[in-house]
Amino acid sequence: MGFARVHDEVQEYEVFARKTRLEPLRQVGAVVAPDDELAMAYARATYDEERWVEMMIVPKAAVIQLWAPGEAEA
Amino acid sequence: MRYAEWCIAAPTLEADIAAAAMGLDDIGHSRVLYGSLRELGEPDVPDEPGSYANVPYLDRPWTDWTAFVAANGVLDSAFTLMIEALAGGNVEVLRSRLKKMLQEERYHAMHGRSWLRESRAAVAVDEAWRDSIVWIGPEDGDVDELHGKGILSLGVRELRRRLEEQVSGAPASTPIDWKARDPVRRRIVPGGIDELTLSMLQGLAEKRYMPAGA
Repeated sequence: MGFARVHDEVQEYEVFARKTRLEPLRQVGAVVAPDDELAMAYARATYDEERWVEMMIVPKAAVIQLWAPGEAEA
Repeated sequence: MRYAEWCIAAPTLEADIAAAAMGLDDIGHSRVLYGSLRELGEPDVPDEPGSYANVPYLDRPWTDWTAFVAANGVLDSAFTLMIEALAGGNVEVLRSRLKKMLQEERYHAMHGRSWLRESRAAVAVDEAWRDSIVWIGPEDGDVDELHGKGILSLGVRELRRRLEEQVSGAPASTPIDWKARDPVRRRIVPGGIDELTLSMLQGLAEKRYMPAGA
């Protein structure tokens, strides 16, 4: 194969979806891609097996974590 | 089918899955298109090597990922633009039936565009461009005629312009010998798919692995 280099830089995206309008969004998985467009294409290709009405991706870096109850400050 | 051949050979696992998914989409699209043709009274063509009107780019399996990327980014976009022109035309069967196809193709376009940015696929892209332009055809040919009748909502110039816009590039300026173009198969280069591809399309390749009497 003449293509040795894969991507220079990638980021991880969390994938969320809901099956019906009434259902809450659930995390269904994650994809790794160099940009939003490819991440969208990958999320749809990978998580399209089940019926869904809404799917969205969020860069993992954009997720802000809160301290768990009782967790000490790092 | 060429997409499917890459479902275990793409550079990343995600791209493998996308290749399989896009291949499945396109099989579905072919079924819808053939079904629409039948409904519009077009007779079935015999299943023979010479009857396949594919672009030369699809004659042989791709041996390099850049070939996949160029097909995905350029050729797939050209086909989709034509579908869009049909969906926007005045034939009711096509207007109603091709919408889902266009929705799925949006993901193919994003996949193709992103990989085009990433890959050094210039040689393959030139070839895919050429095949796309030849496939769409010359100005004042059948596509413009159908556009004139309202069957296609876009003519040759507009199809080319939108393709350039989507791919963010222009075809190489090598002249095209329109006189040598086969108007039915929409290609200049003679030949067609090889025996192996044909046997796979006809399902003969799968039959070899079936137990006797099945």
